[in-house]
Amino acid sequence: MSGGGLIRAALTNRSLVVGLVLSLVFVGAALISFIWVPQDVTALDIANKIKPPSAAHPLGTDHFGRDILSMIMVGARTSIAVAVVAVVIGMGLGVPLGLAAAARRGSLLDEVIMRGNDLVFAFPSLLIAIMITAVFGPSALNAIIAIGIFNIPVFARLTRGAALSLWTRDYVLAARVAGKGAVRISAEHILPNVTNLLIVQGTIQFSLGILAEAALSYVGLGAQPPIPSWGRMLADSQTMISLAPHMAIFPGLAILLTVLGLNLMGDGLRDLFDPRIRRDRR
Amino acid sequence: MSLLRIEGLSLAIHDYAILHDVSLTVAPGQIVGVIGESGSGKSMTALTVMQLLPEGAQATGRVMLDGQDVLQLSEADLCGMRGRVMGMVFQEPMTALNPIQTIGDQVAETILVHDRVSRAEARERARQALARVELPEDRFPLTRYPHELSGGQRQRVVIAMAIALRPRLLIADEPTTALDVTTQAQILKLLKRLVQEDGMGLLMISHDLAVVADMADQLVIMRHGRVVESGPSPDLFHRMQHPYSKALLAASTHQPDRAAQPQEVPLLEVRGVIRDYVTARKGIWGKPGTFRAVDDVSFRIRRGESLGLVGESGCGKSTLTRAILGLEEVQAGEILLDSQPVFTGHKPNRAVRRRMQVVFQDPYGSFNPRHRVERLITEPFHLLNAPPQGAARDAAIAEALESVGLTADDRHKYIHEFSGGQRQRIAIARALIIKPDLIILDEAVSALDVSIRAQILDLLADLGDRLGLTYLFISHDLSVVRQVTDRVLVMQAGRIVEQGETAEIFDAPAHPYTKQLLSATPRLPDITDA
Repeated sequence: MSGGGLIRAALTNRSLVVGLVLSLVFVGAALISFIWVPQDVTALDIANKIKPPSAAHPLGTDHFGRDILSMIMVGARTSIAVAVVAVVIGMGLGVPLGLAAAARRGSLLDEVIMRGNDLVFAFPSLLIAIMITAVFGPSALNAIIAIGIFNIPVFARLTRGAALSLWTRDYVLAARVAGKGAVRISAEHILPNVTNLLIVQGTIQFSLGILAEAALSYVGLGAQPPIPSWGRMLADSQTMISLAPHMAIFPGLAILLTVLGLNLMGDGLRDLFDPRIRRDRR
Repeated sequence: MSLLRIEGLSLAIHDYAILHDVSLTVAPGQIVGVIGESGSGKSMTALTVMQLLPEGAQATGRVMLDGQDVLQLSEADLCGMRGRVMGMVFQEPMTALNPIQTIGDQVAETILVHDRVSRAEARERARQALARVELPEDRFPLTRYPHELSGGQRQRVVIAMAIALRPRLLIADEPTTALDVTTQAQILKLLKRLVQEDGMGLLMISHDLAVVADMADQLVIMRHGRVVESGPSPDLFHRMQHPYSKALLAASTHQPDRAAQPQEVPLLEVRGVIRDYVTARKGIWGKPGTFRAVDDVSFRIRRGESLGLVGESGCGKSTLTRAILGLEEVQAGEILLDSQPVFTGHKPNRAVRRRMQVVFQDPYGSFNPRHRVERLITEPFHLLNAPPQGAARDAAIAEALESVGLTADDRHKYIHEFSGGQRQRIAIARALIIKPDLIILDEAVSALDVSIRAQILDLLADLGDRLGLTYLFISHDLSVVRQVTDRVLVMQAGRIVEQGETAEIFDAPAHPYTKQLLSATPRLPDITDA
């Protein structure tokens, strides 16, 4: 498909456009927060605590009088950073493992990689995250490591599955006839043909990473105060939910809309890359 | 009184015209063969009769079946007719059956859909239908699953489903294309018998002139959605008028001119090669078994020779190819190219490997869709210690593309911009670019239309003469092997059962298996008017 055709197809794909807009809103909010926020998120203003939305505080204030809009903007940084790095860890380790397992399918290496994956899959991910933070102390960095580890088997399995079918193609056989080794074939012929899948899965893992970061900071194991985080904002609001529902609603909405946007984007990208689905939808 | 009468049928899908003014008739008990190359509209004609057209299809004209115009019928009426009045057999028996249902249930289902009968009664009738397609219950119980049957047996089940309700019209779309030649002969015989017994009309669609010529009472030749010629079968071959029909017939029997004579020097020697595969172990503690795919195979190819290797699927042809190419190690024996082994130690010998190249069957699957042609065809340069760079590389690319009848400018295109025949030319260019001595053609023309196939065979013959190439021509299609090879090997169950000069083997086969293969091969009527 030509580049122009791809862009036109992308613009007519509703879930892709909606997902992209939602995601960009939150990425934009995170980027803007570096240069400007409505209020300082570390400044306490006890006199103005738990105020409902007003002109001065569009989304209201929390129990220390901090501006919720500003906290959501700065919190987006943490969420996005944790999720991005976790996906990068997952892809960076998972994809080569999956490619290696597929290149040596049926061998001891394949067994070791895939059974290792099963092991990580079999552990409840939140439990491991809690263990890691219990040992190394709660911080955003440890949350990233914990979430990243659980992304590895997801990408390894996906890559191996897709690569296995590619290894049976004639063009791979042709490359073997040309004397190319497994590493080279994986890089030249296998990886470029699984990138579509990886991009789609990456988007979905990205949204799961945001959810996982929210869950970890909700239980107090993510980013530590005074750095704002969506999960901890929810945790702080729960005792005051009947008194100040806006304290729970806005961070909750932020999580919901970001995850929704990323999932829609993943769906849209999958449709875009899979000509079969695209034709059916028309 | 005709059973099916198609009059002035035109079909467009999303405003793209597919069929133009197609007319044909099928009488009860008659076999009508529709022949055409890919894109001729032959399958679309069949789908129009069944009214199984894709979304957005607009058909005009009349398709009278049993006095009713199927184009005017409602979907509910059509459901009542499909299976009862008209049955259909598809090309691919592997995907036409549901893998998790027994064959008895699948045949009985067709009956239950149409007739208000008890389950027991439906099973009884399914049993009869399977017996009619020569799958008797004592040998093929109704509780068998599709994966327990061979390709030919599965196609029999598909036929049993189609004829269970004794339809008036049976449509068979390439019913034997996916099958081996001996199985094909059996299925064709079965279809012929069923037509005679039930007096049903058979509309048989095929790309293979020889298959249809043997079977049909009437022939319809289609091209670009039009009927170019039709008439009673054996006569039509003698009185062909339309240039396309003549060209099609000529292409089917095309014999490329070959000038080069093989030299008396062996290029490739295969001595006592054995290739065992380890099969899955039975249970966790069971011992893995072995399957001998190639069993003590020895032969040699002389320089400049074209050697054919024929055999049915699963006979070990592809395994042998991979062993010769040094892709897989053999368990015993040796393979020598110019007295050099293809495997030294456990490593493939690069010096030998760069002298052999291969062209595969599927023109669509043999290229990475993400690379440009120049990158695709220069892949074998990897085998060279000092691959050409810059201007020398450009010259090599241009030379390879031009030698296969493409232009040097095609190097910047992607593979999807080419047709099937052009892709096969690119595959040959990729094989030629490092100037090999031996080219292995693994079913290289089997997926091509006959007219394209004739062009590719000419190209191969021409290249062979000009560049002094040696070919190992692997095919299940005996007629093609006969046209292009000097000598032929016949392989069955991992062994070479017969080898010799092509003409001698085809005229006087010695081994029973060779005789069986040859007698099963469909033949065009002899039209050389003496």
